Amino acid sequence: MNSLRTEGCTLTGALSVTMAVTDGITIIHGPDGCVHHTTSLLHALQVDHDRLFSPVILSSSLTESEIIFGGEEALERAIRNAAARNPGLICVLSSCVSAAIGDDVQAVCASSPGPDIVVVPTGGFLGGGFSDGVEQALLALSVLSGEGPCSDGTVTLIGEKNLEYEADAHYRELSRLLSLLGVRIRLRFVRDVPAAALRQLGSGSLNILRDSSLREVGDIFRRRFGTPCITSFPVGFAGTLRFLEQAGEELGIDSRQAVKRERENQERLISHFQDLKGVEVSFQGLNSSALPVAEELVQRFDLRTGNGACRVPVPDPLPVGTAGLSRLLHRWRRICRA
Amino acid sequence: MKQIALYGKGGIGKSTTSANISAALSDMGLDILQIGCDPKRDSTRMLMQGRLIPTVMDQVRERGDRSIALDDVVFTGYGGVRCVEAGGPEPGVGCAGRGIIATFQILERLGALHGDVIVYDVLGDVVCGGFAMPMREGYAQEIYLVTSGELMSLYAANNICKAIKRLSGRSRGICRLGGVIGNGKNLEDEEELISRFAGRIGSTLIQFVPRSPVVQRAELNKKTVIEYEPESRQAAVYRQLAGNIMKNTRLDIPEPLEMEDLEALAYEFITN
Repeated sequence: MNSLRTEGCTLTGALSVTMAVTDGITIIHGPDGCVHHTTSLLHALQVDHDRLFSPVILSSSLTESEIIFGGEEALERAIRNAAARNPGLICVLSSCVSAAIGDDVQAVCASSPGPDIVVVPTGGFLGGGFSDGVEQALLALSVLSGEGPCSDGTVTLIGEKNLEYEADAHYRELSRLLSLLGVRIRLRFVRDVPAAALRQLGSGSLNILRDSSLREVGDIFRRRFGTPCITSFPVGFAGTLRFLEQAGEELGIDSRQAVKRERENQERLISHFQDLKGVEVSFQGLNSSALPVAEELVQRFDLRTGNGACRVPVPDPLPVGTAGLSRLLHRWRRICRA
Repeated sequence: MKQIALYGKGGIGKSTTSANISAALSDMGLDILQIGCDPKRDSTRMLMQGRLIPTVMDQVRERGDRSIALDDVVFTGYGGVRCVEAGGPEPGVGCAGRGIIATFQILERLGALHGDVIVYDVLGDVVCGGFAMPMREGYAQEIYLVTSGELMSLYAANNICKAIKRLSGRSRGICRLGGVIGNGKNLEDEEELISRFAGRIGSTLIQFVPRSPVVQRAELNKKTVIEYEPESRQAAVYRQLAGNIMKNTRLDIPEPLEMEDLEALAYEFITN
C-alpha cells in the first residue's frame, strides 16, 4: 500500500505542474470532490509558503448520471467554459472515475475548438503516485514544444518542485551559478511561465533536472531534442563545484574560472561560520541521499557527531548550491546558540 | 415474496424464458414484477405486445432521478404483469453496471419491489459488480441458469456459478442456485448433457425446454407463447417450468467445474 508521505495521488502531482502555467486553466475530469481535495491541499501548501494561490482549476463535475451515461459531454461543457475565459492553454486531467468508465478524453479534447488542450492521464487507481503525476504532466506539456531543437546556449530547468518551500531560492542560486559561466536560464519547465513560453522547450542547450527521479523525462527529451541533461540540482560544496564543471563541459565552456570564483565564495562562507567548528551535533531527519553532504559538513567544520545538545535538521530535499548551504548553516547556528 | 433471477449466455433465451415464466405465473393468479436488467431493454417486450417501454435510465437521463414517479417506469403487460426495464447508456460509453445499481436504488425508493414473484432477467454474463446486483443486497434469493448444451453456453453458466458461490459465501449473501433451465438447441442428448452438468455443479435440471418453432411464431406476433398459443405443447412446458420454480425448495451453493472438466463432459456427449 502506498502510504509514503512523499507519494500520493497522480492527479495531485500532475496538478502541481499544470497549475504553474500562469495563463493556463486546468480541468479535472472527475467529481467535484477530487477537485476540492487536490486543490485544497495545494492551496494550503502555497499559502503556507506565502505564495498567492491563483491558478484556475475547473471541474467537469461528474455525478452518478455521468458515470452511467458517460462523462464526455460533461467534459465538453467544462472545456467550453474554460475556453470562454481565453486561456493560453487548457490542461485536462483525468480522474479515477473517468478512467474507470472509459471516457475517451483524448478524442473529446482533439475535437474541441479553441486554445491548445493538453491531456494528462492521471487515474490514480492505475497505481502511480505523486511523482508519476509530475512526470506525466511534464511529458504531456512537452507536446507544445515548437522551436527546438536549436541549441541556443541557454539552460532549461525541468521539473522544479512547485510545492517546495525554497523553489524560488533554488532558482536564484542556479541562475547565480550559471551566470558564473556566462549562461542564462531561458525556460522554467514548468514554473510561473505562460503557455507560449513552453514552446521554447527543446531550444536550450542543456536541461537541468530537479532531481534524479526525473531521469526518464530527461532521457526522453535528450532523444527528442538532442538536449543533454544534468540529472539534479547541485547540493553540497563539492557537488556545486562539480555541477559547474559538468555544465561547462556540456555547454562547451571553460569552467575553470567559474569554479575558482565559486570555491573562493565557499571558503568565505566556511570562515563566516567558524563558530560552528568543533560543535557536537546530532543530525535530525538524515536520510541516505543526504549522507555525503552531511559527511562533507562534518569534515569542513570538524563537527563531532553524537547525542550532543545541538539537534540540527537535515532537510529533504537538501538546499541547493552554496547559497542553500549558507541558509542551512544559519539555521544550525541559531539552534546551536539557543 | 419469491424473487428469482435468470442468468445465462447472451442470446440463449433468457428473456423469452423469463417472459413466459412471468406470463404463466400471472395465469396462476399471482402478482408478478419482471425487471429487465440489460441495456438492450427487450426483456419485457413480449409481455408488452412488442412495445419497448421507457426505461428507468431513460427517465434518469431526461429528468434526473429525483422526479421519477412509479408510473414513469412500471408498465402493466399481459396478465397484469408489471414490467420494468433498467436500460442503460448508449453502447460504448459510460457504465451500464452502475446503471443497474442506480435502477435498484430508484425502484426501492419508489416502493416498486413487491408482489408474489419478482423475476429479474439479467444480461448475459456477470460482467461486473453492477450486473451481480440482483444476487446481492437481498434481492434474488434463487438464481436459475439458462443454458443449452453448447459448450460456450455451459461455459457461461459455469462462470455465473463462480459469482453465485462467491456472493453466497458472504455474511449477508442469501442468493443460492435454484437450478438449471435447459433451453434446447436440438442437439443430440442435449437434455442429458445439461442434466449431467447440473449434477456436476451440485444442482439439478429444473426443466428442459425443447426447441420449438412456436416460440419464433409467438415472438413474430409480439406475444409470449403462453399468450399466443396457450394450448400448445410449448406453453405447457413453460407452465410446468413456472410450477417447478414455485415448488422448488432446493437451493444450493454451486461448485463450478474446472475448464478441463467442463470440456471433458461436453466431449463425452460429442463422441458418444
